[in-house]
Amino acid sequence: MRIKSLELRAKVVVEGLWKGMHRSPYHGFSVEFSEYRAYVQGDDPRYIDWKVLARSDRTYIKKFEDETNLRCQLVIDHSKSMKYGSQGYTKADYAATLAATLASFLMKQGDAAGLTTFADGIEEYLPPRNRPGHLRRIITELERPAKAAGTSLDLSVGQLADLLRKRGMICLITDLLAPVEHLEKQLALLGAMGHDLVLFHLMDRAEIDFTFEKSAHFRDAETGTERFIDPQVARETYLKRLQVHRDTIQAATDRHNVEYHFCPTDQPLEEVLFDFLSARQRKKASKRLAA
Amino acid sequence: MNWLFPLYLAGAAAIIAPILLHLRRRPPQDCVEFSSLLFLDAQTPVPVSKRRLENWLLLLLRCLALILLALMFSRPFVQSESAAAASPNHATLILLDCSASMRRGDLWKQAVAEAESQLKAAKLTDRIALAVFDRELTTVWSFEEDRNTPANRLTAAQSRLAELTPTWNATQLDRALIAAVPSFDSSTTTLKKRIHLISDLQEGTKLDALRTIAWPAELTLKVHRIDPATNDNFSIALAAREQDGGADTLVRLRLSNTRDSALRDFSLAWQDAPKSDAITAQIPPGASRILTAPPNPTNATTLNLSGDTFDFDNSIFIAPPQPRTVRIHFLGKDVTRDEASSPLYYLARAFQPTDTLAPVLTADEKLSAQVPDVLFIVGDAPSAGLRDYVERGGFLVTVPSDATLLKAVTGLDLTVAADTDDEYRMLADVKTEHPLLKPFADPKLRDFTKLRFWKHRHIQGKGDSVPLETLAKFDNGHPAILSARIGKGTLIVLASGWHPGDSQFALSTKFVPLLYGWLAAAGFSHDPAATLLVGDTLPLDATQSHTITDPDNKPHSLKPGETFTATQIGLHKVQSPAHTQIVAVNLPPDEGRSLPLEPQKLAEYGIKLAGAAEAIATSETTDQRLTATDTEQRQNLWWWFLVTLLAVLLLETALAGRARQSSAQPA
Repeated sequence: MRIKSLELRAKVVVEGLWKGMHRSPYHGFSVEFSEYRAYVQGDDPRYIDWKVLARSDRTYIKKFEDETNLRCQLVIDHSKSMKYGSQGYTKADYAATLAATLASFLMKQGDAAGLTTFADGIEEYLPPRNRPGHLRRIITELERPAKAAGTSLDLSVGQLADLLRKRGMICLITDLLAPVEHLEKQLALLGAMGHDLVLFHLMDRAEIDFTFEKSAHFRDAETGTERFIDPQVARETYLKRLQVHRDTIQAATDRHNVEYHFCPTDQPLEEVLFDFLSARQRKKASKRLAA
Repeated sequence: MNWLFPLYLAGAAAIIAPILLHLRRRPPQDCVEFSSLLFLDAQTPVPVSKRRLENWLLLLLRCLALILLALMFSRPFVQSESAAAASPNHATLILLDCSASMRRGDLWKQAVAEAESQLKAAKLTDRIALAVFDRELTTVWSFEEDRNTPANRLTAAQSRLAELTPTWNATQLDRALIAAVPSFDSSTTTLKKRIHLISDLQEGTKLDALRTIAWPAELTLKVHRIDPATNDNFSIALAAREQDGGADTLVRLRLSNTRDSALRDFSLAWQDAPKSDAITAQIPPGASRILTAPPNPTNATTLNLSGDTFDFDNSIFIAPPQPRTVRIHFLGKDVTRDEASSPLYYLARAFQPTDTLAPVLTADEKLSAQVPDVLFIVGDAPSAGLRDYVERGGFLVTVPSDATLLKAVTGLDLTVAADTDDEYRMLADVKTEHPLLKPFADPKLRDFTKLRFWKHRHIQGKGDSVPLETLAKFDNGHPAILSARIGKGTLIVLASGWHPGDSQFALSTKFVPLLYGWLAAAGFSHDPAATLLVGDTLPLDATQSHTITDPDNKPHSLKPGETFTATQIGLHKVQSPAHTQIVAVNLPPDEGRSLPLEPQKLAEYGIKLAGAAEAIATSETTDQRLTATDTEQRQNLWWWFLVTLLAVLLLETALAGRARQSSAQPA
């Protein structure tokens, strides 16, 4: 976060990553072999593997994976709670860098990336594209300060589901500091629509450990409510409730096959991305096995 | 470490305030922004219990700031280790004014009483000295005597004071103070030094020389001004004497009245003159008038002013006219005084009696029995006895026709030849700086272009050299005026006569001044005696012994070379073997300016004054206080405390800001 330019920050992170670890959910005819399947009438005879036919006297058709038409929608939480940060930078900064990095990474390997920001509803929507200048637009949008509003996950995800007609990957980057009762329903909806869901759950170290010592009036960043808190007394309850909250989220994501990444903001971005890409690869491998 | 205002130190007790504030139980006022209160329940705010001091560094800085503030206001200073400052004893010099102005009323009595009270107030461990001053400082009781016999100081000083009376001298306080500074000898090094000045501090006193010295820092001056009952005073001084064409001499006087004087009417009269001859008039306060003295039919020598309270400055002494006889002898063949062609004709007219000189001109073909003071020889004359005359101090002026006389007088081989050239000659190369041609030093007499000589002699020694001193030459290079010192006397040789047969000299404006210049060179000055004031040295001939009779008729015998300084006003009779003269000595005019000065005036000259208005009993404390103030002002330690205070406050601000910031942040 010492680099001021978001674009440069994203570029630096991307350069250190292994490229091309994910696959498109669409099968096409490309350079990379996917699988064989038996020829059925109506298939294009151009794709029959003649060498296999000569050896085994059976007609098989070669399938290839299409790596170029992944549509990734980055969904960023722009609520006021994202403005909190005890590390010298806020969660919003972290989220913006993460999103910019992902966008840059995806577009570099030919995928389309879009951006959606939300707070108590969708704020900005950029459909996934892979055109020159689109990354610039995404980054400009990411650099725009967040609006002062609370978080409404249900409403925002619902609106997003209406906007995304085509299947693709949805990367939801949020602190999830809002009631999550209806989140599961929305996740299920998106999953049912065929979207590949990835959830980046951002939390500041002070939120994770609640390391305050002095009694003070704590003001809620989103609602402005003030409560007198003695951290010594409140810490235990806080940590318990936070754990329950995280467990709830974890359970919901597991149920709906959502890829969940818990990201403390003091964790280096490279690690987060590496975990993400590793998980993607594992997911792909498991899919192959299942197939 | 000492404090100028130690009471301010109590202000340091204010540190209790920050300590209490740091201990105070108060509900937390801090407000922390947090992302969400989703997992936090509200609690009841309870006062923060501070069983121990928090932010002790901050507290320390705050206490330090208060202590520094208290220290700064108490004006600290480091007392020097010198014994002088620490010593409770004093070295005191009492300076008593004994000038003429102290003759007014009972000023002298008051001054002596004040001096005695100072002497009595001194402790035995103190060192005390007493001196009187007018135009000079005179020690009455020295520090050394005081160190040897401190117990006798009062008796001895009183007896010496009793012998003293005010003099007629002017007041020169500057010289007295300058002379008083070194009188503090080595025995007073460890003591606090001070001078008690007992004076009327009249405005005529001289102070200018005080600007030439740096007043010692450790020496303080305390002024005890003695004021008369009234300041009304007329004073009189000689303004100038003026020749009124004839023999009558006008005496011009300057009369002054003091400012704010209640008196205006005065009367001016010669001593013992009838009342009808007195001048009665008015002079307003603060005014000064020039008057001509009233007629003096009785030839009195004292002029008296009356009408004011104090008469010490009301008399003017004027010496009577005393023309001095000068015997002048003319030796030559042509001794007629009535023919314009005769050189004697012009001498007889030039030497007229004046106020100062009474020339007696005799003429003969041979030297008279009575030795003349000045001898003129024109042409041939018997040379016998002339050399003796000159050697014994005679003054010979000659216009030689041949070399015989010159050879006899000078003993030199000289030739005198008549110049046969028909051309007239003029003077050139005139040594106007020579004493014998002193009148020609006046630019008015330096124009020699109209002075023509048509008959002159060429005087020369062997070869072309002239062994006599040439005072002036003709324009052809021949000497015109020669001179020589022979024994005690003087010889002047003129190459051309002054009468019309030889030149235009006698008819020129230069002739009479030159003759009187020669008379002055012969010891008969035509200048009237300058007005003498008390303190002046009488003009005496250093080669002769004198007897001076002062106004109290007390004779003073002086050997040749000794001088006599006038200490009294009045007429002094100066007798020498050759001459008797009356000299008038008057009071210095400044002494009549008797209005008192403010003691603070002395501070303008850099003198460290002790509080003049304070009582003697408190003077010791005041001195200490003044010394402490002075030391503190020199050291200015409070500045350092201020700088440290600002640094501490800066640090405190930075720390407090940081603490506030950190309290809002998670640990």
